[in-house]
Amino acid sequence: MGVTVDEGTLLAASRRGDLTAYDELVGAYQDRVYQLTYRVTGNPEDAWDAAQEAFVKAFRALKAFRGDAAFSTWLHRIAVNAALDIIRRRPPALDPLDAAAAVTTESVDRMVEQRELQRAIHRAIASLPPDQRVAVVLRDVQGFSYGEIAAVLQVPVGTVRSRLSRARDALRHALADLSPARAHSDEQSEWR
Amino acid sequence: MPATHMKELLSPFLDGALSGREHDEVQRHVEGCAECRAHLESLRRTAESVRSLDPVKVPEGFQAQVRARLSAADTTAPRRWLPRWSWPVAAAAAAVLLVGVFSANLLREMRPVGQVAPEDFRAEPAVPRPSDVQAPSLPAPAGPQALPPVVDVRKIVRTAELALDVDRFDEVAARLLQTAERAGGYVAESAYAEDGGVPQGTFTLRVPAARFAAVTAEVEGLGTVTHRRIGGQDVTEEFVDLQARIRNLERHEQRLLSFMDRATKVSDLLAIEEQLARVRGEIEQLTGRLRFLERSADLASIAVMVRQKVKTTSGVWDFSGTIGKMRAAFLATVRQILSGVEWLGVTASALAPVLLLAAGFWLVIRLRRRARTSEIR
Repeated sequence: MGVTVDEGTLLAASRRGDLTAYDELVGAYQDRVYQLTYRVTGNPEDAWDAAQEAFVKAFRALKAFRGDAAFSTWLHRIAVNAALDIIRRRPPALDPLDAAAAVTTESVDRMVEQRELQRAIHRAIASLPPDQRVAVVLRDVQGFSYGEIAAVLQVPVGTVRSRLSRARDALRHALADLSPARAHSDEQSEWR
Repeated sequence: MPATHMKELLSPFLDGALSGREHDEVQRHVEGCAECRAHLESLRRTAESVRSLDPVKVPEGFQAQVRARLSAADTTAPRRWLPRWSWPVAAAAAAVLLVGVFSANLLREMRPVGQVAPEDFRAEPAVPRPSDVQAPSLPAPAGPQALPPVVDVRKIVRTAELALDVDRFDEVAARLLQTAERAGGYVAESAYAEDGGVPQGTFTLRVPAARFAAVTAEVEGLGTVTHRRIGGQDVTEEFVDLQARIRNLERHEQRLLSFMDRATKVSDLLAIEEQLARVRGEIEQLTGRLRFLERSADLASIAVMVRQKVKTTSGVWDFSGTIGKMRAAFLATVRQILSGVEWLGVTASALAPVLLLAAGFWLVIRLRRRARTSEIR
């Protein structure tokens, strides 16, 4: 994804400090990087700042990038770190418990709307601990494989697996409240 | 607890991320265990929900900001030392520096024509200069096209106000139009009246800033100048400030737009909309002012008040006109001489320190050389 025919050429030129070449790379990757920082930070302002930071840092670090990983993987690593950095620095705006409560108290009527569902999923992701949040965003939003996630985060595949497992379990509970019917059958089957 | 153990593996199982043996094991377990089957199904739905999130697009202006940040940082990046430090290099560097200082001083004295010496600096497009100075070409007074690159971003609003007594009003009015058009400008405004049989009028010429001096000179040649005011207002600072404020507001606007995408409550939407309207109004206002400044700086304005001379004697020979012409010709020559003298004075004073230092250098180098040759002996 996002790999153009001449990405190698653009990379080589950017490494020499060619801003126009790098501009093209930014154009090719900005949506994906912003999507990642948006889902990880949970709001557009922090997402903007994190993505900006990521692209500026990436340009400066490009000389050190030797291509042992894919550029996309490498860029994602920088973006994840930028996003986590922002989360760490800012005081938590939404207490995870509050967020979960907010989801449940939304009126049922509005839940039907696709838009509201999207918001709920977004909030559920935002209420996860950062590690799990990053894992689930990389897997289910960005569509990376376990191996790629391990490369982005520089952790063993086993760690990816367990983070993702815990993330989905937490999400499962948060989202179960959205559709009472489904949740009900779930609970029943678990109680049995 | 085998069930818990299996639950840990259900998520990777879902992704097909288990090894063949583990995969088969989970497969077999799930087939026999209803609880794990339900759990797996619920996990699958969860993952699907997350995957159903709409793709997110970055707000407008993101790429441009990255580029702006990088090019701002880029200008401070390259730093290189001279490969070898030697007397010729030092002397050359000193010479370049001095010529630079010299030309900068000269430029500063010459540039704002209307302010420094409005009377003596009659618009002369090209000021003669010594050929031995390797400075960038001197600017024609008030002509941005001739300014060196250092100052080419400056925004200066140039205005002139001239009152002319002319012999034939109609002819001058036509000439003014021609002059403006030939310079690539136009007559923005013209008013015409007849006062006791004496026609008079006001014309506002807008011409490209680069042609300001030439056009002013040409207009002055059309009659006897009775009033003259030339102004130049440097609006660079305001211009840059406006640009920055507009950029900030635009970013703010983008953010508001992205808030709007997320807002669901009508009250939120209304509040955002209100903010958005305010920000957009402000952007429009600032952009308008920016355009006005840009236009004012690009097109100089020359207001000309033209009045036909009152013919006191209607004889065969109009002596009053002749005397006026003679006076004008005389004054013009005197002005040119004065401006030439001033230019010489300014050039000499700018050059004096350079010559002194050069003499000093020459002496030092001579002394060192002499000392070296005597050492060899």
